Amino acid sequence: MSGRRVFVSGVGGELGTLVATMLEAEDWVGDLAGIDADPPRRRLVRTDYHRIHPDDHDHIVSTIVDFDPHVLVHVGVWEPNARAAPRQAALLTDLAATSVIGAAAECPSLEHIVVRSGIEIYGRGPGALTRPTESAPTRPTCEWGRTVAEIERTAEQVGARVGVTVGALRLAPVIGPHVPSPLGRLLRLPAVPFSALTDPPFAVIEDADAARAIVAAARTGLDQPVNVVASGAITALQASRRGNRVPVPMSGPPWAVARAASYLLGAPIPDHVVETLQRGRLANNAAMRPLLGVVPDATTRSVIDRLYRWPTVIRQPAREPAA
Amino acid sequence: MGRVVRLPLARQAGAAGDALARTAASIGSSVTRLTEEPGGVVDDWGRDPDLARLMVALTHLRWSVAVGGDQQLPRRKGALICINARPFAQSTVLAAFAVSDATDRPVRYVGRPDNGPVGAFAQRLGALLADPDEIAGALAAGELVVMSASATNGGRDVGAVDHSLIGAAVAARTSVFPTAVVSRPMTRTARVEIGAPSRLRNKRRGPLAELELADRVRTDIGRLLDELGDIGTGTPLDWLPFGVPGGN
Repeated sequence: MSGRRVFVSGVGGELGTLVATMLEAEDWVGDLAGIDADPPRRRLVRTDYHRIHPDDHDHIVSTIVDFDPHVLVHVGVWEPNARAAPRQAALLTDLAATSVIGAAAECPSLEHIVVRSGIEIYGRGPGALTRPTESAPTRPTCEWGRTVAEIERTAEQVGARVGVTVGALRLAPVIGPHVPSPLGRLLRLPAVPFSALTDPPFAVIEDADAARAIVAAARTGLDQPVNVVASGAITALQASRRGNRVPVPMSGPPWAVARAASYLLGAPIPDHVVETLQRGRLANNAAMRPLLGVVPDATTRSVIDRLYRWPTVIRQPAREPAA
Repeated sequence: MGRVVRLPLARQAGAAGDALARTAASIGSSVTRLTEEPGGVVDDWGRDPDLARLMVALTHLRWSVAVGGDQQLPRRKGALICINARPFAQSTVLAAFAVSDATDRPVRYVGRPDNGPVGAFAQRLGALLADPDEIAGALAAGELVVMSASATNGGRDVGAVDHSLIGAAVAARTSVFPTAVVSRPMTRTARVEIGAPSRLRNKRRGPLAELELADRVRTDIGRLLDELGDIGTGTPLDWLPFGVPGGN
């Protein structure tokens, strides 16, 4: 199966760049191309990068149809308050999903689609399972959960219509040194809010482990959803203690104050992160090994520990004022 | 905690139980040990090892529990432990802590509310929702899970066993161990006796398997209770013709 053409949408983001870097090292991958509104975060050797905005529908379609990929890896999704405000993020994600997956459906060589999803798809409503498996019902209760559910639905419909396999990677909150993560930003604040009444557990995944899982899904032709979650769990209070942050107990209306204060400090808290802090978010990762052949290297605890070890951004003033 | 008491029913299936344990020992890669659990974090299911250890220590102040038959439990694989229950006795928590102490493994128990601080606290102790999918997930992950029959007031009566929860064990292909819990509210002594795994006489392919297995488990718990007899208080209360509420 060597010489496969692989197309990566969202190749400019940290996760997309990591995926492209790993795909470049795969011997089964032939030509490699990708699109994004922003340039890749690292130097890519074999990947043809096309800078296209998600609303430039015609350009996206012509680029993908001309490339005629065997495998489409769609990681071009915008998590709310990661790189865009929630409304803008939902709009960009929807535009990209429609254009990219729709264009891929027109490609005669297409065999397989891999989409990025999230464990927010299960929802945390009353009676929601503590650690849902992939077969658990999907009842999203936050905007990000509904967005990834829509991506999965779109991909499944396209897959059924054109007769290709579709694999969805339901990622836990992705945390890495350069990944724009609202949860990661919040945990790195000097004071970390946590639910005083429940302080529920949540799990995360490191960016490199998430990228390895995506590459494995493309390689194996994954044809079903799979949870990609690091082992173990942690609560916001425990995380703040590990990072020597000041834990701030919250309950009821003060959460609105905390969200406003966090927004002013540059770490806005979207609704799915509030839900994580109030209701927890875990998922069963037992299917990773049989379906993908990989397991996460980093546990949730080690990912959080590394989160606090990253150096802070040091702002250097310009030697000569621009104006 | 952890004294081994061998009763006739356990001896009868001892060989089968040992074989099961040996087979289970060869399955699975690793098992979490209480003594190896790291502090300062929670596990995959939200159980807090530090808090659980503290609660077990507090339980020792109130109860002196003898556990029997725990050598029959699989060493690595998951298992469902079904106990008898009395109203307000919190037998599932008592049994989960006692079995955990005896086996040096974290033990989950079924029956936590899904909201508020009580549910969150129970989750930190290892409680699961009373949902078959939740229990099946835990069993498939190699966890020991304690559930109870519905509570009854009378002596050695055993309440109905929820067949949908037993179905979780059937789905996860794990054994169900009938277990008798005997305690008295006015003494420290308590007994947790784990029997040999319940088996069906006839193989069933459909939902009859869980229905019949639930009935079988109920019968087996009743037999274990008969074998155990009553725990005496050493007071004239023992002369009363009915059990003290909360006790066997």
